[in-house]
Amino acid sequence: MSGLAYESLEDVEFPDDIHTTSTGISNEKLGMWVYLASDCLLFGGMISTYLIYKNRPGEIAGLSGNTDKVSEYFDIPFTSMTSFILLMSSLTMVLGVNAVIRGDLTRLRLWLTSTAVLGALFLGGQIYEFTNFVVNDDLGFTSNVAASAFYALTGLHGVHVVVGVIMLLSMLAISFGTRIRAEAVEVVGLYWHFVDIVWVLIFTIVYLIP
Amino acid sequence: MSAAVTELDDDSPVNPGEHHTHGPTDAQYFKVFFLLVALTALEVSTYWWDDIFNADTKKIAVPVLIALMVIKFFLVALYFMHLKYDSPLLKRTFYVGMIVAIFVYVVALTVMNFWSDSGTTEFNDPPIDPPAPFCATSSEPGPCPAG
Repeated sequence: MSGLAYESLEDVEFPDDIHTTSTGISNEKLGMWVYLASDCLLFGGMISTYLIYKNRPGEIAGLSGNTDKVSEYFDIPFTSMTSFILLMSSLTMVLGVNAVIRGDLTRLRLWLTSTAVLGALFLGGQIYEFTNFVVNDDLGFTSNVAASAFYALTGLHGVHVVVGVIMLLSMLAISFGTRIRAEAVEVVGLYWHFVDIVWVLIFTIVYLIP
Repeated sequence: MSAAVTELDDDSPVNPGEHHTHGPTDAQYFKVFFLLVALTALEVSTYWWDDIFNADTKKIAVPVLIALMVIKFFLVALYFMHLKYDSPLLKRTFYVGMIVAIFVYVVALTVMNFWSDSGTTEFNDPPIDPPAPFCATSSEPGPCPAG
């Protein structure tokens, strides 16, 4: 194990290898935090919009759709399972970050793959949920205002997960090719945990609070 | 595993103050994860509280859910996102942004009558009690009839 780590260490570039900045924080990391802060405001707006409309489905003018509240169709045990999957992906992500810091590329690849697979499973769950709403419950994006707010919020989160999975797979591909930067993995990890943290809010506010 | 880490620390190019001494270990990450799982299980259990306790538990469940959500949020931010171990500049950026965002959205929800939402499907909920008629001696709204 130690031999492997020594060999792999040559393929990992650490933060000190890069030129320093006046803040002591690399531009990539600071940039990611600033982006996440702006994304917080975006999701805050989407969550607020859903809260405002959740009890007021109302028909959309010109369209006749299902005017039931979205919350009447939630399958809490199923969504709890997908939430657990996303939570588990956060664990595999931090284990991956620790692995790259140790210079253990084999474990890094294992944890990156696990995280991407768990993310894909979460997405599969979301697609199943949406399909169920549309096909069985006749609740589409334009059925009513509350449904639009719900699909826009959870769909936007799903898009973030898709981007996260692409980033994870890119890191995995890079780990097989050129030198991988430990901080690049950490920055991707920050994004992935943000996706998880947003779901912590959505799961409670949208699904669990009556 | 631990032997490999110890050996690497001796001649690792990583700044010792950057990662190795301050970041959580794998074991600590597992502890945080299991705590998150337990909190999530408690959250999900609130869905069945009405049936279990055979009563309306909404008034207790909602504050409990909000508290659990906040704890989970900070556990992920502090440990998984390394905020606890990172530069104070990032902490300040995060906390200032969070406070401003909460303030902005509480104001937005207040302006949109969210807190007075009575659960009806009307966008602007009508007042629960109709306004008193302008004329105290008449049941009709408006000024008192002449005479």
